[in-house]
Amino acid sequence: MAELNRLLIVDDNQDILSTFYEFFNSMNYEVKTASDGFAAVKLLKDKPNFFDCLITDLVMPNISGVGLISIVKKEYPDMKIIAMTGYGDQPGALASEAEADCVLFKPIDLFKIENIVAQLLITKDNSNSKQTDD
Amino acid sequence: MINIKNKTKSIPLIGVSKSILKIKELIHHVSDTCLNVLITGETGVGKEVVAQNLYTESARVSQNFVKINCAALPETLLESELYGYEKGAFTGAHRNRSGKFQMADKGVLFLDEIGDMPLALQSKMLHVLQSGEFSPLGSEQEFKTDVWVIAATNHNLEQSMAKKTFREDLFYRLNIIKIEIPPLRKRKEDIPPLIEYYLKIYRSEYPNNRVEKPNSDIVSKLVNYPWPGNVRQLQNCIKKQMIMQSWEKTFNDLPKENGQDSTIVGTDKNAMEIQELPDKKAVNSTTQIISEFVDLSTSSDKLFEDISLKKIKKMAADKVEKEVIFFVLEKVGWNRSRASKILKVSYKTLLYKISEFNIHPHIE
Repeated sequence: MAELNRLLIVDDNQDILSTFYEFFNSMNYEVKTASDGFAAVKLLKDKPNFFDCLITDLVMPNISGVGLISIVKKEYPDMKIIAMTGYGDQPGALASEAEADCVLFKPIDLFKIENIVAQLLITKDNSNSKQTDD
Repeated sequence: MINIKNKTKSIPLIGVSKSILKIKELIHHVSDTCLNVLITGETGVGKEVVAQNLYTESARVSQNFVKINCAALPETLLESELYGYEKGAFTGAHRNRSGKFQMADKGVLFLDEIGDMPLALQSKMLHVLQSGEFSPLGSEQEFKTDVWVIAATNHNLEQSMAKKTFREDLFYRLNIIKIEIPPLRKRKEDIPPLIEYYLKIYRSEYPNNRVEKPNSDIVSKLVNYPWPGNVRQLQNCIKKQMIMQSWEKTFNDLPKENGQDSTIVGTDKNAMEIQELPDKKAVNSTTQIISEFVDLSTSSDKLFEDISLKKIKKMAADKVEKEVIFFVLEKVGWNRSRASKILKVSYKTLLYKISEFNIHPHIE
């Protein structure tokens, strides 16, 4: 059986965090959560190369989502990144600048975001297998 | 106002509170990312100390740490200080002058009081942060800059944005890493180690002054004082004590606002604070007791070396014995023979203890 795809979901809103957790769990993903960018960075250091995809909120205390995206891009370039924001255009623009693969505006349809995750992971797998073929 | 520090020996971030330990950990994790940092907190909490710690833990430590206070200069002067100017850019510009952005290249630019930066300069700052390029006043040439920007403010920038006195786009660009330093009154357990640390510093800075450790009663008063000026006010208080040579007088001189008198324990305000922070209060008294016997301001390695149950037990027992002997001697008008009977020790033992603990009659 193929391994489950691993997601890291980061949001300082506990309700959103648990909703996403339940949903992606039920969709057969292995999910870990963090309540801000700092907690996420520590989790990533503990488990480097463990996660396939990061879904992160942008406006958070300590390390913001934009900060987290920049760190992930540098340290774990293979991870796919989805940013989500409810704070208008500014943070979203900064997330795009930090090269998030996709920026979504809240409220977010869970099925839509799952669709995006699935597509991003397909492109990730393709580029990985290309690399191994080479 | 403006200064450049190269390879400065940074002041360590002193504290045992949860928030300070978390800030230390955060500094450790982000010091090599060069992501923009916004440090917030009331005046005197140590925002510059945090900035310097970020710098000294980073790979940029061999380069410049350039500080500029955005509140201290009028708009035009601030602009020329930041970006520099070309000869002839304005009356009095007799020669080219490089700005702080150039001086901080490959190093750190610390923008203190960013909340007071005029709006016109905020948009120029935003442009530089976006593009990494700037041009000195009166120059056509664009310079590329590689600075790590660390900004600090005691303003609530969310409120400033609502009032349109701070640009939202600049806020989000600076707020990539946010370090919020709580006021000293919300981390009272940091007060004993801070006192300990600064006493040690001032002792070596002013070797001719006698520096006295505050007794536990004074420490408790200092811990419960609200410190509106935060760590800076505490530093000044310790310095003042070195001149006044009396902790009691120094403490009584501290401003007590709104009729609040911190010397009276159990006022409504104190009672409220205690109710709000029951666990913190427990932590306070624990660290207070420990700080009487070991120096909490040292690194944990040194601290663990210093802690020995046997040693501390002896120190604590000595302390209590000394207080009891002094109390009884005062009660009996220093009649040592009577005191020895009350204390149920031999006369010889009492004399020995009086000399060991260096007990003297209290002089009014």
